[in-house]
Amino acid sequence: MKIKSGFVLREVCGERVIVGEGLDAINFGKLLSLSETAAWLWKKAQEMGEFSVEELATQLCEEYEVSLAEAKADVAEILDEWKQVGVVE
Amino acid sequence: MTNYYKVAEHVFSVCGEDEVFALMDNYAPFSSSASDEVVFSLCVNRGAAPDYTEVIRQDDEGQVIICGRNAADEPVFEFRWGNQSAGWLVCSSDYLHSRLIVSDDYQKFAVDNALMVLYALATARLQTALFHAAAVSFKDSAYMFLGKSGTGKSTHARLWQQYIEGVELVNDDNPVVRIMDNGQAWVFGSPWSGKTPCYRCVSYPLKGIVLLSQAPYNKIERLRGIQAYAALVPSISGMRWDEPVADGLHQTENALVSYVPVWHLDCLPDEAAACICNETISV
Repeated sequence: MKIKSGFVLREVCGERVIVGEGLDAINFGKLLSLSETAAWLWKKAQEMGEFSVEELATQLCEEYEVSLAEAKADVAEILDEWKQVGVVE
Repeated sequence: MTNYYKVAEHVFSVCGEDEVFALMDNYAPFSSSASDEVVFSLCVNRGAAPDYTEVIRQDDEGQVIICGRNAADEPVFEFRWGNQSAGWLVCSSDYLHSRLIVSDDYQKFAVDNALMVLYALATARLQTALFHAAAVSFKDSAYMFLGKSGTGKSTHARLWQQYIEGVELVNDDNPVVRIMDNGQAWVFGSPWSGKTPCYRCVSYPLKGIVLLSQAPYNKIERLRGIQAYAALVPSISGMRWDEPVADGLHQTENALVSYVPVWHLDCLPDEAAACICNETISV
């Protein structure tokens, strides 16, 4: 999986949102609000390029004190939402 | 001949033959003395279409802007009225020095669009945003109405003028907003005002921004944070796929939603809409 080109993480009044700014995302027409954890995952995913639920969950475990099982469930839920909205492929 | 113009305290220059300046009456109130510190310069000449590759196009009711790149990787913009090419703008990559090649038709359309595009791009990094909005003044402050084409921005601005004492139109279509060095947001008139000839070189502190929607009733509510930000973004001109431009506009938008109240007004095109809006936002 990877983040689609043209999407940018922005901070608005202390909150985190994904906006479509690139040529491929210019018709996105929405803002996607992210929790602190989701924003952290976004940055990791951006660094990794290609990623899987397992890989992101492992990263999450290293940063936060959660079990791998919990991390996997959280990551899967967030990625599902991103897929539905259309910011990852 | 070269002339200088100052819009929202940013100076730009235009060079060309007399026939170009004959099309530019709407710029006269913004005339400025020669300056070494221009945000961009534009030279206008007649000529043939340049070669370029299309990247993306915007179509606004038959008025088309095609954005592309030439062989030297410079940005090129073609302005079309329906199917007719009015002109081609070829820019340096920092948008500082550009030339506009005009055809024989719709030259004014080409000049106005070229200057709007350049102004929006060259000032994006300078805490400045060219809005698609109507702006009015009331008690030494300015208020701005946003909304999609056809929502009734101009109508709402006219209702304020008609029913509220002391209201004047600042600009009907393209006011400029600038975050000043002291952090205050100000609205400035511009040489671009859509179908209403309102080219006023005036400025006021911006005290409220209202996103309009048509509804069978009048109701106003405050927008905050991300919602307020989302209301502003579609109303600001700029090529956001150009990263420095997007970064600059984002900073301006963030400052605006932090310091200027943003509202959403569901409204009818009537006196009550103007009154409820005025009473709520101008306190």
